[in-house]
Amino acid sequence: MSERAERQDRRLAGRSPGQLAWLRLRRDRTALVSGAVLTLFVLVACGASLIELAYGIDPRDQFQGKLDGSGMPLGYAGGISTEHFFGLEPGLGRDIFIRLVHGLRWSLVIALAAAVLTAVIGVVLGTLAGYLGGWLDAVVSWITDLTLAMPFLVVALALTPTVTLRFYGQRDAVPPAFGIAVLIAIFAVFGWTSTARLVRGQVIALREREFVEAARASGAGLGHMLFRQLLPNIWAPILVSFSLAVPQFITGEAALSFIGVGLGEEIPSFGRMIYQSLEYLQTDPAFVFFPGVTIFALVFAFNLFGDALRDALDPKSVR
Amino acid sequence: MRPRAAVAAGGAIALVVSLAACSKNTGEGVTVDIDRRQTGVIATDPKDSTGPAPAVPGAQAGGTFTIIRETPIAHLDPQRTYSFVGLLAAPLFARFLTTWKDDGAGNLVLVGDLAETPGNNVNDDCKLWEFKIKDGVKFEDGRPVTSKEIAYGIARSFDPDLAGGPTYLQEWLADNPQYDTVWDFTANRTGLPPGLSTPDERTLRFEFAKPRCDLPFAASLPSTAPLPPDKDTGINLGNAPFSSGPYKVTRYQAGVEVVLERNEHWDAATDPVRHQYPERFVWTFGPTPDAAANRVIADSGADQSALSWNYVPASLVSRVVGDAALRSRTILSPTPSANHLVINNRRVTDLRVRQALNYAIDREGLVKVLGGQHVAAPMTTLMPSSTIGHRAYDAYPAGLNGELEKARELLGGQTPELVLGAADSAVEQQVATQLKGNLERAGFKITIRNIPDDAKLDEIKKRDNPWDLYLSSWAADWPSGASILPVLYDGRSIRAEGNSNESYFNDPAINVELDRILALPPTEQGPEWAKLDERIMKEHAPVVPLYVDVAYLVHGSKVGGIFVSSVFGFPSLVNAHVKP
Repeated sequence: MSERAERQDRRLAGRSPGQLAWLRLRRDRTALVSGAVLTLFVLVACGASLIELAYGIDPRDQFQGKLDGSGMPLGYAGGISTEHFFGLEPGLGRDIFIRLVHGLRWSLVIALAAAVLTAVIGVVLGTLAGYLGGWLDAVVSWITDLTLAMPFLVVALALTPTVTLRFYGQRDAVPPAFGIAVLIAIFAVFGWTSTARLVRGQVIALREREFVEAARASGAGLGHMLFRQLLPNIWAPILVSFSLAVPQFITGEAALSFIGVGLGEEIPSFGRMIYQSLEYLQTDPAFVFFPGVTIFALVFAFNLFGDALRDALDPKSVR
Repeated sequence: MRPRAAVAAGGAIALVVSLAACSKNTGEGVTVDIDRRQTGVIATDPKDSTGPAPAVPGAQAGGTFTIIRETPIAHLDPQRTYSFVGLLAAPLFARFLTTWKDDGAGNLVLVGDLAETPGNNVNDDCKLWEFKIKDGVKFEDGRPVTSKEIAYGIARSFDPDLAGGPTYLQEWLADNPQYDTVWDFTANRTGLPPGLSTPDERTLRFEFAKPRCDLPFAASLPSTAPLPPDKDTGINLGNAPFSSGPYKVTRYQAGVEVVLERNEHWDAATDPVRHQYPERFVWTFGPTPDAAANRVIADSGADQSALSWNYVPASLVSRVVGDAALRSRTILSPTPSANHLVINNRRVTDLRVRQALNYAIDREGLVKVLGGQHVAAPMTTLMPSSTIGHRAYDAYPAGLNGELEKARELLGGQTPELVLGAADSAVEQQVATQLKGNLERAGFKITIRNIPDDAKLDEIKKRDNPWDLYLSSWAADWPSGASILPVLYDGRSIRAEGNSNESYFNDPAINVELDRILALPPTEQGPEWAKLDERIMKEHAPVVPLYVDVAYLVHGSKVGGIFVSSVFGFPSLVNAHVKP
């Protein structure tokens, strides 16, 4: 901290912890840069349809006339041109840029939805188990251990096709939303455990503190105890775990699509694109480059921002 | 730390971009001539069946020939061999009743291998066949091969425990598809199945209840390989076959390696097709097609005399094509593997819809998705051009990219909703996406329904399968229409499961015609099959012919004598040699 900042700090007294954290975050260059990158990604994802309108190309449009006899894009670097910013896919000849924009949207939708769901499940179960203790704590801990013991990939591989068959007949079209919902559900079922454990630990540490005892002595109900007394004091770790879960789900979606149980061919997806592009590393590196760099930047930015957020909320902890 | 990371990331980005941008793809390359005419005949002159095979120009004896392949050969038991790799590996260590003399350019002659001629149709009714066994053919221990050992080989293929091989001979002899119920091998180890007899040591006789004019072809499959009964190790024969060919298995490491070394008792003078140039053949299993191709392209050390068994993967094709230095080390050849978009005729009963599908198909785009002309070549006939007597025609001229107008006209403003069952493998998903886009432009509504990759084959062979369209391929066991049209389009053979007639096409008039042509002498059948091929397409359009696979192989700089088998579409090893 510079001397001027220290002087300012001394002059301005009486800030809430939230204000303090915000100040610390704003002073962190990593947080600023990663935050800006994230904002950009979110804006692009939200405006995917607008970008498509301006760009004039649908993610399913094929430009096979711009491929050579072997199905490779004509021109430089995988067919990069003013019409196709990131070039074309070999074979089907779809535009990589617009598919990345849409892939970004689905990736963020899945990751954020899964992160919110896991956070909600984790917080509810964690606070209940931690605060009430007894048999409920035992049951919740037991379920947590059980879920942790289940191999995520194996269950995902086994479940996804079965679930589809359960809901749709052999001739029914499976809507893309269903695939997305299944993915989110799988992530939610497997992802809540870490939040639940974290919250439970924090609540156990808090529940014997004086202010909690005081509230209990004055006859507060369960809801008041949980949401007024305990939760406001553990927001910081929850927020951090949320921000670190998002990139984990982004890579998780990519990994599942990579091994073929994620999204279908009709939804543009990072994992599928990277999976298909890997073979072309030698012959069309641009096809590998753009999806790879995008997912790298996205996950990197989320992780850096999550770290910075933790530093800001909890400056005492040692990394 | 941060500046260094930035420099590293920047460097990586710059490297990739410069790699990608260093050359402009102008789309110029070699064009493939795949319109070659296959001629296939059965040798009438016994001299064609005598050895030795003409020397391969420039070939020298010696060296180790390596073959790199991803998946191991399931087993080396000739009676159980039916995979392409097995069918092409078997001639190294086994001889058959008949075999194909193949110049790799489509000129095929069926000659006698162990037999002096490719079969004697005794009464010209295709019911009684005789084969005279050559003098001087020996097993790897020096014992002579007689008709008894060949008959024993055929008899043991009746054993259900040794299933997996072709079933033509068994079904024809037993005159029943459930041949193991007619004659039980395990109970009659010293006997012979009904209809098979060995009047003397040099004569093998087949007597069939019905005319079986394709017997000389069927006898070229490895199930006619000889085996002395005392050397039969049952299912273990797959690890250590008893050789009658120019090489014998000296090392078998399951899933890793097979080593074959010269068999000194093999006599070149008796063999019309095989050679014995390399010291040994080594099959190495494990590397993926990408890895194998890259190894062979790198051409270092032992890989100089190596062949990558799998075709060049689609993603690497442009690299191999673009490298002029590799041109002498690649082999490009069409194969008899025919791929169709099969229409489920039990569901899509409207002929106009099936015709519209044929008009709508964009074959050029499809070939691009598959990896281009080095991977697939468009086809408009039911039988691939490698079939004997094949005649090119285009019943529904769709041009390069489909006659969408013509298709819409046939549909008459309707939008047929069809379900395309597609395996969830990476390639088929891409092809399905292509077909959906293609057909929807022509006025169809296509729903893609995924089928687990490993289950797809069984599922589409079920008569009551729920899909309207699916992709399927057929590679005939010999290049005659008799092993294609009756198998795929005889409606009387439709069962509940396990159908080869995946279009479930059944037309009484066509069935009669199939029977008529099957009863003709094999030499007269060729043009008749071609006529029927065209008739089925014109009158019924039961499938949409898509493309034939193209074999594109790359090998090391010291490899010689490799050609693509005109019968099976994979490399034939009979002329293989290692350049010094």
